Amino acid sequence: MTDVRTTQVYQVFIKAPPERVWEAITNPAMVAQYFFGAQMEQATFTVGSSVRSWSPDRKTLWTDNTVLESHPPRRLVHTWRSLYDKDLAAEAESRVTWEIEPQEGGYSKLTVVHDRLEGAPKTAKNVSGGWMLILSGLKTLVETGEPLTKFSQGVATQRQR
Amino acid sequence: MDDDRVFKALADRTRRHLLDRLFEREGRTLTELESELEMTRFGVMKHLRVLEEAGLVVARRAGRKKLHFLNPVPIRLIHDRWIDKYAERRVSALAELKRKLEKGERA
Repeated sequence: MTDVRTTQVYQVFIKAPPERVWEAITNPAMVAQYFFGAQMEQATFTVGSSVRSWSPDRKTLWTDNTVLESHPPRRLVHTWRSLYDKDLAAEAESRVTWEIEPQEGGYSKLTVVHDRLEGAPKTAKNVSGGWMLILSGLKTLVETGEPLTKFSQGVATQRQR
Repeated sequence: MDDDRVFKALADRTRRHLLDRLFEREGRTLTELESELEMTRFGVMKHLRVLEEAGLVVARRAGRKKLHFLNPVPIRLIHDRWIDKYAERRVSALAELKRKLEKGERA
């Protein structure tokens, strides 16, 4: 990738109503199954509250983000800082927006926008492959109840098909 | 949502070119994209619409502008569904062969 992508957009259609997609984003037991095994603390997802996630062994703080907007089950906006890597953690804070729109036929359109990455070029580069894996995994989990990948210590191994 | 739409959208040189342009730099307007292609505005719009319907391009409003972004997720899903399934074993056999050859072992 040549340029720094300061606004990144990821979109996926999920065969489930918005409420179930919202649950997948906010329920720690579900998050652990598609977000690199992250152990998210129980969070309220109210404006101004924080959402903290730890490594699978719960020894390293991975993220400590602040909720900026919260409209369950349609829209969630929070800050982003990649604390899992020293170089990335030193960069400026960016922003993540989750939009969930109901579609015809019982589908939801989930759009993740990671923007305000102007002050975080290394983070911009680091997260792009991650979001794809996360959304692909979230879709599989919500639709089938099974994780796409198994995570151990944050390393993904693709499920055999 | 639909593999057919993604494959159909990708089966066109101009549309793949549009995706490459968006990969290089995202958040472009129709006017910017049009200026790089030997094609009418209407032609570019038509191709963008096919890409949007396949979910490969997402258009978002920013003030009065409509910006186009590449959405890589459908390609990832096709990769998960098609490429992994058929290529994984062969690729890992080749990787193993390369490793052995580089270590000077007999393959």
